[in-house]
Amino acid sequence: MSSILELQNISKNYGSSVVLKDINLSIENNEFFTILGSSGSGKSTLLRIIGGFVKPSGGDLIFNSKVINEEPIFKRPFNTVFQDYALFPNMNVYNNIGFGLKIRKLDPKTITDKVEEVLSIVGLNDFKKRMPHELSGGQQQRVALARAIVCEPKVILLDEPLGALDAELRKQMQLFLKDIQKKIKTTFVFITHDQEEAIFLSDRIAVLNNHQFEQVGSPKELYYNPKSKYLASFFGECNLIDGTVDHINSDIITINTAFGKINVKNKYKNISQNQNVTFAIRPEQIFLNQNKDNNSFSTKVDRVEFKGAVTNIILNFPKNIKIKVQINNAEEQIAINENDQFNIYFDPNFGNLFVND
Amino acid sequence: MTNIINYFQSSIWTIVSFIMVTIIILIPLLSFLSYSFFTVDNVEIIHEFSLYNFKEFLTGEIYIPTFFRTLLLALTVMIACMITGYPIAYFLAMYAHRSKYFILLILIIPLFMSYIIKIYMMRSILGYSGLINKLLMMFGIISEPSEFFLYNQNAVIITLIIILLPLIIIPTFTSLEKIPRNIIEATYDIGCKPFQSFRYVIFPISLPGLIVGAVFVFILALGDFVTPQLVGGTSGFTYGKIIYSNFGMAFNWPFGTALASILLIVSVIIILLTNYLTRKT
Repeated sequence: MSSILELQNISKNYGSSVVLKDINLSIENNEFFTILGSSGSGKSTLLRIIGGFVKPSGGDLIFNSKVINEEPIFKRPFNTVFQDYALFPNMNVYNNIGFGLKIRKLDPKTITDKVEEVLSIVGLNDFKKRMPHELSGGQQQRVALARAIVCEPKVILLDEPLGALDAELRKQMQLFLKDIQKKIKTTFVFITHDQEEAIFLSDRIAVLNNHQFEQVGSPKELYYNPKSKYLASFFGECNLIDGTVDHINSDIITINTAFGKINVKNKYKNISQNQNVTFAIRPEQIFLNQNKDNNSFSTKVDRVEFKGAVTNIILNFPKNIKIKVQINNAEEQIAINENDQFNIYFDPNFGNLFVND
Repeated sequence: MTNIINYFQSSIWTIVSFIMVTIIILIPLLSFLSYSFFTVDNVEIIHEFSLYNFKEFLTGEIYIPTFFRTLLLALTVMIACMITGYPIAYFLAMYAHRSKYFILLILIIPLFMSYIIKIYMMRSILGYSGLINKLLMMFGIISEPSEFFLYNQNAVIITLIIILLPLIIIPTFTSLEKIPRNIIEATYDIGCKPFQSFRYVIFPISLPGLIVGAVFVFILALGDFVTPQLVGGTSGFTYGKIIYSNFGMAFNWPFGTALASILLIVSVIIILLTNYLTRKT
C-alpha cells in the first residue's frame, strides 16, 4: 500500500479562533479512513480543506506526491458526498448521476453505460426518472453516492452522510457503504461523530479532539490500546480507577487504589514511583467469581442491568467507586441480585494505565 | 361527530370566501365586460347585444397595428428588464452578503411611491434640459440637448424599464437566494467550472423566479397608459392609451371595454401559457 493523500502541518483558524492545529496525516490508497470527532471538533473543516472548499491557514495538502494547495475544486480528482446530499433539484436521478460525465464531455453512449452500471451498483435502476424531491432520504443518499462514484475519483469524501437517517436505515447504509468501497476499490475518507459506526466501517480511524489528532490507528488499536484516558472512554464503556504507583518491577506495576492494590502488566516506559495514574479497564475485561491471591476483590452488587445478550453488573466499592462488569449471557445465568456479595478479578494482562498530570 | 363539525365549518369558510371573491371581483368584472357588447349613439349607451365593437377592432386601421406595436414594446421592456435585472439579482444574492437586504430595501422603496411621481421624475431626468442631456453635454458627447429621450417611444421604453425593474429583481433574487450553498459547492465538486455551474444548475433553478418577474413586467407594460401619456408624445402611442382615450375623451365606453377585454384575454392566455411552461421544465 502506498499513501495517496498526505496532510502536512495543516492548520486553520478563523481570526483568533483555532479550528485545526498542525494536522499530520497520511491516507493509504484504497483504505476506508474515518475522521472521528464530536461536533465542533473541526472534522468537517478538515474534509472541506481536502475537498478544496476551504483554504488552510497553513500547511500542505499532498496528493500522489504533488502539493495541491492551490488546485481549484473542479480540478481535484475527489468527489464529495454531502451531509444533506445536495442533489441538483432541477435534474432527475439519471441526470444527477450523469452530470459529472456530461461536464467531462464523454460521448453519450459511454455516459449511458456508466450511469446504468452505477445505478445497478446502488440499486436505483427503477428510480432513474424520479426527481430528487420524490425520493426518500435513503434513496437520495444512494444517488449522492452514485453521483460521486460515477466520476471514478481517486478519493471519495463523505461528510457525515448517514447523519440524517434513522437507526435502522443507518445500519443498512453502513453495510452498503462498506460493500461498495470493497467493490469499487477507491479511497474513502469518511467523517462521523459515531464511534460504533467508525469502528464498524473503517480500516483506520483518526480521532480529532481539541483541534488535533488524539490518535490514529486501526479500530482494534484504538479500542484495546487507547493513548489517552479520553479515548479509553470515548470508544465504548470503560471503568476508570484512580490510584498511585506503589512499586514497579520489570513485568508488573502495582498501584494503590481506594479499595486495594492492583497488579498491571508493565508495558510502559513513562511511569515512575508515586505517580498519580488512572487504571482503565473495560467492563468485559473483568472476571466474576474467580478467587485468586492478587487482584481479587469482594464487594456488593449495586445494580443489575439485563440487556439480552449481555448483563451489566454494577458493583459498589468504597469511596463511592462504581465498577461495571459485563458478562456474556450465552446460557441463562444464575440469578444475580442487588446487595449480593461478589468477587471480581482483574487479569494483569488487561487494562491500560494513564499518567495523570 | 367532531369530524362532521370540522367538515361543516371548513365548507362554510369555502363558501364564504367564494362569495367574497364573486362579490368583490367577479361581478364587477363581468358587468364591466358586458359593456363590450353594447354600442354608443352620440353619448348615449344602447343596451342591446351587438358584436359591432369587436368588428371595429378587427377592421379599424389603427387598432391591430397598435396592439402588435404595444406587444412589441412590452416584449422589449420585458427583455431589457430580464437582461439588466438578472445580473443585479444574481450579484445581490451571491456576493452582497451582509448588505444585500439593505440594497434590496432600496430597490423596493420605489414600489411604495406614487406611480405618477415616478413618471414625472423620469420626465425630469430624460427631458430636454434634464439630467441625462446635461451630463452628456458636460462630458462633451453632444453639443446641444438631444430629443432622443423624451416624447417618443424611447422615452416610454426607458421609463417603463426603470419603473418595472424591481418587479423582476425581487422574485429572481428570492429564487437565487433559496439555492443552498452546498448545491453550488456540489457543482464544483462534480467538476464544473464556474460558468458551467451557472449554466446547468444555478440558472435553471432560478428560472421560475425570473419568469414570474418577466410576466409581471410584460403584463404591466402591456396595459400601461399613464407612461405613454406623460412621456410618450405623439409617436409613443400605445394600446393602453387608445383604451384610455375611449373612456376619457371619446366617451365610447362599450368600445373601450371591448378593447380592454381583448387585452385581458391576451394577458390571461400569456399567464396560463407561462405557468404551463414553467411547470413543464
